This record gives sequence, structure tokens and C-alpha cells, in this order.
Amino acid sequence: MNVILLIITLLGAPLFAVIAASAMFGFYSDDIDLGVIAIEIYRLAETPVLLAIPLFTFAGYILGASQAPHRLVRLTNALLGWLPGGLAMVAIVACAFFTAFTGASGVTIVALGALLYPALKEAGYGEHFNLGLITSSGSLGLLFAPSLPLILYGVVVQQMGMEQTISIGDLFLAGILPGLLMMLLLSTYSMLQRRQPRLATSKPTNKEIVNILRESAWELPLPFVVLGGIYSGLFAISEAAAVTALYVLIVEVLIKREIPMSDLPRIIRESMILVGGVLIILGVSLALTNYIIDSGLPMRLFDAIRAHIDSKWTFLILLNVFLLALGMILDIFSALVIIIPIILPIAINYGIHPVHLGIVFLANMQIGYFTPPVGMNLFIASYRFERPVMELYRATIPFFFILLGAVLIITYWPGLSLVLLGQS
Amino acid sequence: MSSTKSDPTLLPRILNVIHRFEDSLLAILLIAMILLASAQIVLRNVFEISIVWADPLLRIMVLWLALIGALAASRENKHISIDVLTRVMNEKTRRATHIFTSLFTAVVTGLIAYHAGRFVVMEYETQNLVLGIPAWVFEAIIPAAFALMAIRYLIHFVQYAKGLIMQEPSS
Repeated sequence: MNVILLIITLLGAPLFAVIAASAMFGFYSDDIDLGVIAIEIYRLAETPVLLAIPLFTFAGYILGASQAPHRLVRLTNALLGWLPGGLAMVAIVACAFFTAFTGASGVTIVALGALLYPALKEAGYGEHFNLGLITSSGSLGLLFAPSLPLILYGVVVQQMGMEQTISIGDLFLAGILPGLLMMLLLSTYSMLQRRQPRLATSKPTNKEIVNILRESAWELPLPFVVLGGIYSGLFAISEAAAVTALYVLIVEVLIKREIPMSDLPRIIRESMILVGGVLIILGVSLALTNYIIDSGLPMRLFDAIRAHIDSKWTFLILLNVFLLALGMILDIFSALVIIIPIILPIAINYGIHPVHLGIVFLANMQIGYFTPPVGMNLFIASYRFERPVMELYRATIPFFFILLGAVLIITYWPGLSLVLLGQS
Repeated sequence: MSSTKSDPTLLPRILNVIHRFEDSLLAILLIAMILLASAQIVLRNVFEISIVWADPLLRIMVLWLALIGALAASRENKHISIDVLTRVMNEKTRRATHIFTSLFTAVVTGLIAYHAGRFVVMEYETQNLVLGIPAWVFEAIIPAAFALMAIRYLIHFVQYAKGLIMQEPSS
């Protein structure tokens, strides 16, 4: 049966249907009433933090459809653009920031790529560098609050009801330094790029900076409200999401009027298609997760692995290889809900902190966004910049190795993720 | 949208109405959710009161949004799937696999709809209350959404089978 389902999956059937089929088959062979599937799906209505997912996603889509990406690029450009390698840093910072808010749904490349790509070209960077930088930065920022995968990891772990539970706030803290490390490595690489000689960008005058700040005055408080609110404990995550969604809606639609009212239903539908696609997988996976845990599969796997590997570090190497391969075929959301319930109990037995595992997992998956053959961002970039996918494969290779380096550091230095939690 | 107007057959017109209904429902749910959640924050922090039913209702709205969003994803065949193989297939093989996977999805969602329907009927008989309203009312979205998804994938199946649509079906 499992082989048949695997074939159906590879033929491109919707993953939620395959997962549901596999859960129902499990229930059926254990003589459990299949009505259970409805009870499991109904658990979507019993998990308060899930409220944050539609709200943040919607806010991200609204921002993406407005002029906010333009302002973000102009602002970071005024602040960083005059540094050596400045424009590349602008791209890295702007992408990371934007992706954190839009949840790495490919919106970053579409919304920011079109602005950054010509700008980088004009600044004299090589063609391949530009394509590679933008494609690989499209998933940068995944580790920063309030990114959707980060929240989803927290939800999945909490649903498993393990003894060692974690809060999403912990994950938000843990992602900061690893995320900054990735940005630092990419910036360093960008600074070392040889460029065509060109006119030096002068440092912007104070007046210019004031103008740009004034122009972005409406969006500037947003990161402080959201991140400050969450990190300080003022807001619950779903509250921060509600505030963000309402604020963005009022600013971009009613005050700045950059999005016509008539466009709202389309934006809502598109964002809710993503939300629905992710949550329905989560819903049916809740059924499968229980089945997997009850079946004792993780423990049997643990025993099997334990027989060959007894060091935590060897296990982590194996995990990295596995996750990289996984990221090549599975998107981040499905990978989260399917794989985490299996590997988390194993990882805990090897003494790996669940928060650290989450960061390692997402960091690996972030690379998966642009690894052939199915990295989503490769195709989005190929479509957006009208380049063959093969060219993007090549262009992203140096960035792959840089971020792989970051992933290795993140994996073997748990302190980097855990120090801000005060429990490294 | 305009092309469906001139279409004489009944099905596209019915579908058009359903699409509008789905889209409106999504918009209403989401906007209501944003307003209700924000109101709750203001009430709690400024007036130190809270609407008792707001939090459970918001959670139920998440379920509804998720399932109707999934339904909209089914319409455009935008569900998350692995497309390593379909991407490299030629047109004919790809259509054949689409026929097969659509049928598979229709059967699975149909099964879920049936069993969720039994569950809702059971709930109807036990007369459980949530927020003073019979629980089955909130739960009914599960069989309803999955039944519509099953119909949606049956339509995809028929369309692919007829070979009427060479590329992804769109709204």
C-alpha cells in the first residue's frame, strides 16, 4: 500500500490526499472508525496559534501588492547602498525582511526581484551573481519572526504532546542569530565580488534620508510593533498577527490607497489558497501523526539507527544529508508536518534540543528552496526573469555552498540557536 | 470570467456562481476575523473586558477559512504536490497522470466527505452545543468542503479525460 501511495505522490497527486489516504488506510487496518478523520481535521479549530497563519499571510500578500517593496528597497538603499558591496547588502536585507513577513511563499522574488535585479545590474554586478543572489535570497529570512514555517514547526511540535514542549516565542528568539549568520556570510561574499567600474554612489544627504523615512513612515513602525510586541511578550502571536493584518489593510488600502478595493477579493483568495493548501495538509497530517506515534515507528527507527550510530554528531551529519535530500523533493510545509513527527522523538533521544532541531530543519529546507530539481524559487525566478531553469541552477551554485556552510555551523553549534533562550 | 457568460451550457454558469460564493465567503470570513481579533485586543487591554465567544469563534473561523481556501486551491489545481516527474513528462503522459491523480483525489476526498458526514450526523443526534449553537453546524464545513472538493476533482478528471484542457484548468 505504501509503495502504491509513494508512486501516486510522485505522479503529482495533491499531498493532502495522499496523506489522508494513508491515514485512513492505517485506521482501516486497525479497525478504527474512519469518522476519526473528521475529529482530527476539526483539531484545526482547537489550536489557537493557527489564527496567526491566515492573518500574517494576508498581511504579507497585501504588502507585496502595494508599493511597500519599492519603499523598502529605497530605504535600505539610502541606509546601506553607499557601503562597499552595498547594493548587494540592500538586496540581502530587504529580502530577508520581506520573506519573514510573507513566509517564503515565493512572493519575495516576485515583489522584490523585479526591483533589485535591474538595480544590481546597473551597479555593475555580474549577471550570474545577480540571478543567484536574488534566487537564493528569496528564502532568506525564513528563520526570522513571524515566518510561517517557524510558526508551523511550533504548532506541529506542540500537537505531538511531547514531554519537552516548546513555545513559538522560543523559536522566534532562536532563529535570530542563525538567520543573521546567513546574512553575514552572503554579505561577505557579495563584498568580495569583482564589479565593473562605475560611478561611485555618494552617501545620501541627510535631506534625502529624511525624505525616504517620511515616505516609509507608515510601514516603519510595523517591524517594531510586531517583533517588539512578540519578543517583549506584550502580544500573543495571534494578536500580533491581527494587529499587523488590520494595520496593513488600513494603511495600504484606505490611507495610501495603493491597492484598490476591487482588488481585495483577489488578494484574499490568493493568500487563502496558500493558507488552505498548508492547513489542509496540517489537518490530515494530525490524523497521520497520531497513527505514526501510536505505531511506534519513531522508536523502532531510533533503535535501528542507534545500533549503528551512537554519537549525536554523527546523527546530525546524517540528518543534514537526509534533510538536504528531502528539501530537494518536498516543499517546506509538507516536509514539516510529515517528517517532524518522525524525527523529533529520535532527535530528542540523541539529546538534541527541539528548538535547535527546528532551526536546523528550517535552515536545511531554506536551501531546498533553490536546489534542483524542484526548488520552488528556481522556477519562480525562471518565470520572473525569463531565464532557463538550467541557467539558474548554475547561478545559484556558489550561494548553495555559502548557505550550506551556514547550515553546518548552525547544526554543530547549538549554542548559536539556544543562547538567546538562556539555556545553551 | 466574461467567457463563461457567453457559454450556453449550464455547468460553467453554476460553477461561476459557486466561485463567486467561495470568494465572497473567504473575504467575509477573513475581514470578520481581522476585525473580531482586533476588537478583542482593544477590549482586553483598554477596557479590561473580553468577548467570551470571540476566541472559540475565531478558532472555528480558522477551520472554515482553511477548508474553503483548500476548496479554492482545488478549483485552480493549486494544491501542494510533488511535481518532479510531471515536470519532465511529455504532454500526453502528463495528461494521463492528471486523469489518474484527479480520480484518486476525488475518491479520497469523497471518502473523507462521507465519513465526516457520518460524524456530523452523529453530532446532530447527540445535540452537543458550542457557543450555545449545535456543534454540528460548525463541523458541517468538513463534509461540505470535502464533498465539493470531490466534485471539483471529478470535474478535473472529466475535463482531462476529454482532453478538452491541455494546460492547468483555471477559473
